[in-house]
Amino acid sequence: MIEVRDLLKVFDTRGHVVRAVDNVTTQVAKGEVVVVLGPSGSGKSTFLRCLNGLEHFDEGHVAIDGLQLADPKTDINAYRREVGMVFQHFNLFPHMTVLENLCLAQKVVRKRSKADREAKARALLEKVGIAQKANEYPSRLSGGQQQRVAIARALAMDPKVMLFDEPTSALDPEMVGEVLDVMKTLAQEGMTMVCVTHEMGFAREVADRVLFFDHGKLLEDSAPAAFFAAPKDPRAQAFLRQVL
Amino acid sequence: MIKHKKAQWPWHGLTALVLVGLAFSLYMATSMISYEWRWNRVPQYFAYKAEEAQRAAGYGTVQEIVISGDNARVTLKDENGAEQVLDVAKDSLQLSRGDDVAEGDQIGVTRHWAAGPLVWGLWTTLWISVVSGALGLLIGLFAGLCRLSSNPTLRDLTTVYVELVRGTPLLVQIFIFYFFIGTVLNLSREFAGVAALALFTGAYVAEIVRAGVQSIAKGQNEAARSLGLNAGQSMRHVILPQAFKRVLPPLAGQFISLVKDTSLVSVIAITELTKSGREAITTSFSTFEIWFCVAGLYLLINLPLSHLASRLERRLAQSD
Repeated sequence: MIEVRDLLKVFDTRGHVVRAVDNVTTQVAKGEVVVVLGPSGSGKSTFLRCLNGLEHFDEGHVAIDGLQLADPKTDINAYRREVGMVFQHFNLFPHMTVLENLCLAQKVVRKRSKADREAKARALLEKVGIAQKANEYPSRLSGGQQQRVAIARALAMDPKVMLFDEPTSALDPEMVGEVLDVMKTLAQEGMTMVCVTHEMGFAREVADRVLFFDHGKLLEDSAPAAFFAAPKDPRAQAFLRQVL
Repeated sequence: MIKHKKAQWPWHGLTALVLVGLAFSLYMATSMISYEWRWNRVPQYFAYKAEEAQRAAGYGTVQEIVISGDNARVTLKDENGAEQVLDVAKDSLQLSRGDDVAEGDQIGVTRHWAAGPLVWGLWTTLWISVVSGALGLLIGLFAGLCRLSSNPTLRDLTTVYVELVRGTPLLVQIFIFYFFIGTVLNLSREFAGVAALALFTGAYVAEIVRAGVQSIAKGQNEAARSLGLNAGQSMRHVILPQAFKRVLPPLAGQFISLVKDTSLVSVIAITELTKSGREAITTSFSTFEIWFCVAGLYLLINLPLSHLASRLERRLAQSD
């Protein structure tokens, strides 16, 4: 479903060159849940943002469902509507109600009728457990509720792939669970997911594979059980000692 | 420390007292230069009874005069028997029955209420403000977005435009426009005035729009783009509505400035409020009264404008 080949992203700030994503090659199969781990500054978020073109990469290929991102003939907007993304800081549109947040892209991009898009939005809000907040503005919602709305907003476009960029990092501890529950449900329903997260429990329980990044390099790619029991790479071992 | 709620009204009373004191000292100052206040001369510059002369179309005699109320209906008959009927005010009638009239002789006048120069000036100021404000908003929106564009030519051109307009006095710009548009393109002075004001406002609105768009967090655009909206859709549906809310106060200030700046187009002989005021003074000699009226009329436009802006601001704040 997702194919990444020789991905290279270099940040060049006043002569200070950082190889944020350094020759990464990997695949994600349909229905697979991949968790990306690594210390901060290791390039995992940049890697994720390269997957839907929010970050322009320097070399390599990224393809989702056969659609090449680097191909100049690819319509980036058509590509992105198949790829849902959830951000660390939710990024809900504050001037719209929850329902309008969910309906905007359906209306503007998918051209769905008002009845269709509202039915879809309400069904998704029901699914993430905040149907009663449909007409509230995001500022009236807690962090966990906002993040669940953000997930529903991405799902409203019927994406083939969901990308999560540290979805629980900006949440109060007691709200992490409700967001992870929604993500688990999604994983069980067979959604293809790539999650950058620091939630080791989620990685262990839900992930099919764990990718470990450091200094832009993909150092380890293994099943969670193997990764947490016996990491092969010395830097992965050091990382796990720090966080567990 | 416990916060005590203190009564506010004595302070408001003091404010009123200060204002009354100021007004009184102004009155005293003008009496010292023996200025005579003649407010009774002012109303005629708002509305007055216009007189229109009614004249005979040809040679003839006054056939009949019928008085009804304040009006008189005069029937003239010429040698061929053709009749002309005129309605005039009774007290202005200059003929009696049987008099002979020649072509062009005044029979009398009709009177009707007409708007005075200050009202016409207010109207001119209003429409110039509205037209140049609307155009300025369009130009400013476009230029502001161009300043943020990734295309270097668009960016450079709008930067040159903004710097040129902000760096030169509006009065000079109006003269340049008047000379250029009036002489080279042969268009009306109103066109020149509106164009100069619109371009002037546009430059400031461009900077306001740019600042507003840049103040919206990058994540908003990223979220919109990640949902498949293109750059234009993201700008229209996500960025601009939020930016508009933020720039409403400076935008309102800019439009209030614009209303006041319209007084400068009087230099190219557009009879707007300030010029009407000056003309009214040349005939009334009531300098203070007329200028106070002119200032009051500007306030009459600007106070509702700022009230409208703050109401809009409150309405847009409901999502906070």
